Amino acid sequence: MNWSLFFDLTVSGLTLGSLYALIALGYSMVYGILKLLNFAHGDVYMIGAFLGWFALHGLGGPVNPDFAAAGVLAVMFVVAMLGCGVLGVAIERFAYRPLRNAPRIAPLISALGVSIFLQNSALLVFGASFRDYNTFSFIGIKTYNVGRNLFFSVPQLLTVVAAICLMVALTLFVSRSRLGKAMRSTSFDREAASMMGIDVDRVISATFFIGSALAGAAGIMSGLVFGQIYHFMGFIAGLKGFTAAVIGGIGSIPGAMIGGLVVGLAESYATGYLPQGSTFQNLYVFALLILVILIRPSGLFGQAVIQKA
Amino acid sequence: MTPNGVSSGGTTKGESGMKKKFIFALLAVAFAFAAAGTGGASTQSPQAASTALVKCGKSRTIGFMAPVTGPASDIGSEQVAWAKYFVSTYNKTHKNKLKLQTEDTQLGAATGTAEALKGAQALASNASVLALAGPAGSNEIVGVTKTLKDAGLAWVSGSSTRTTLTTDGTRTGYMFRTVPPDAIQGTTAANYILKTLKSKRVYIIDDQETYSTGLADTVQSRLKAGGVSVTRDGVSQQQSDFSALIAKIPRDTQLVYIPWQLAARAQAFGQQMKASGRGSIRLMGADGLFSDLFAGVGTNVYDTNFPLNPKSKIITAFKKSHGGKGMFFGAPTYAATQVVAAAYDKACANGTATRAEVRGAIKKTKIAASKSVIGVALRFNAKGDLSTAHKFGVYKSNGKTFNPVS
Repeated sequence: MNWSLFFDLTVSGLTLGSLYALIALGYSMVYGILKLLNFAHGDVYMIGAFLGWFALHGLGGPVNPDFAAAGVLAVMFVVAMLGCGVLGVAIERFAYRPLRNAPRIAPLISALGVSIFLQNSALLVFGASFRDYNTFSFIGIKTYNVGRNLFFSVPQLLTVVAAICLMVALTLFVSRSRLGKAMRSTSFDREAASMMGIDVDRVISATFFIGSALAGAAGIMSGLVFGQIYHFMGFIAGLKGFTAAVIGGIGSIPGAMIGGLVVGLAESYATGYLPQGSTFQNLYVFALLILVILIRPSGLFGQAVIQKA
Repeated sequence: MTPNGVSSGGTTKGESGMKKKFIFALLAVAFAFAAAGTGGASTQSPQAASTALVKCGKSRTIGFMAPVTGPASDIGSEQVAWAKYFVSTYNKTHKNKLKLQTEDTQLGAATGTAEALKGAQALASNASVLALAGPAGSNEIVGVTKTLKDAGLAWVSGSSTRTTLTTDGTRTGYMFRTVPPDAIQGTTAANYILKTLKSKRVYIIDDQETYSTGLADTVQSRLKAGGVSVTRDGVSQQQSDFSALIAKIPRDTQLVYIPWQLAARAQAFGQQMKASGRGSIRLMGADGLFSDLFAGVGTNVYDTNFPLNPKSKIITAFKKSHGGKGMFFGAPTYAATQVVAAAYDKACANGTATRAEVRGAIKKTKIAASKSVIGVALRFNAKGDLSTAHKFGVYKSNGKTFNPVS
């Protein structure tokens, strides 16, 4: 066994999986509460990457930042997460809320429309060129070699650790806070929650804010790890995030996390081990999606829906 | 109340008149938009336009096709910038003014070829368009050949390098290009790897586009014939995470050949190679990567490119007006636009021109090397290839920019 290849692929898969997990959380949270597939979510992730880039350059740029890298990173995360959170709330307010009582196909079409709108707006405003995070000038190119076979870089480590922290924080928030309880109630039965005095609109807005903020954080991590961002980057990442949410069991927060890691690792191992893996990695990932749905339609952590008579 | 609870109400005479006025106003607005959309172009059927004798006038329209949007918009924007730069410099020194009718081909998108076809049809129907610069991709050219030929339009591409485009005889007399074909570039790269770098273990990664696979095929077969151990792989242009692909590259590999089209992608690949502890492996690209972005990856980066001189006056002036950016991939599109403009001038000498006359003038193009941005004189052989470009140059990065080494 080529352990060097295995460890390289594992590190790559965990990094990628962390990003997919953060995106999947947004899909899952929104679906859990509204039963809506928010296809604009991948583009919110793209906007987050751009907001982070602008914050980085607003603070002197990657080569000569105004203060220490840790401080710049913190500001980037705050700007992107807040910006994306507000964007998510705005999308819900203007594109989905008016359609809340419309047939389910209407908000779905609206979501696709918002996705294309965001992509093209980004092309118009930010231009077609790739933007470079220049991570290695900014954070450094140091690569750690644990033992003789395990290599990882600082941005990869940062991504996995930050994603774990955010996921733990979200889990604690949903399980222990008052708003988290309201979110779970709304997800369980919106009408009953409303009758019990929960401000459902506020809960939905909060859900969009949190989900979009996580996507914004994922956007920055993507820029740091892969170096480059562009207006079309949200499309395929969004699809993979959605795949992760479905594999994990859409509506389930732990499912979204595990689904993300499964998709990331599957993509990485497929690239490394399967025939023409780097060319057809998406084929293998989506084949996995079909397989999971066939074997377990509600996903790994999802619960089967009992249809009302 | 109607059964469904919606009041139907009657329509009074006044309301009816209002409705008619409203519909009339809507139609007028729609008509105005449609007229604006054609830009006042003299739209005809492509067949009628193919033989139309056009009064040249003081304002002339050159057709232009490029991937303005879509996955390849990064290189498309470079071609647009260079084409526009030619038009602006031409207009400063000529009484006759040029303008571009730009059609977006969305190269690389799922709808790319269909978009290219739509653009070709739009140009074919505009009688004032006598020839065009573009399209960018070899696949697009295959897709639009019939439309452009039926309309009698000649086209000069600044980036399509598939060898068979000019050798299969399908487009002879209609297609011209200001870049040498894959066969020449691939041979140059393979010879340099074999004879100068003497690499024995090479990893080749194409980007799954025709441009890239053609070059990779040529280099792979030449290296294998030279006794080099070659591993072949591919990766999508839309991918920015190369870590899993890089994990497959053995650490004792001596050179990775990446004939891609997006320099920014190659830059990311180079950075991720470093992050994986493979920074010492040599990288070599092709003309699509002849950019400071790729050069900036490090001093072990090589590239093949047409004999373009980064210090030429035209390039210096272009960079000055574009914030220091060379956008070298687009430079042959400047040459393509220049060829079309020169043909317009020639065909329009008596005040009128047809598409056939412009095609004839393009065939006879003679632009001196000193006025050519690509470093060689612009002249075409009978197939439509540059008769002056017999080899590519090899360049090595000094960490910031490429310098010729062969």
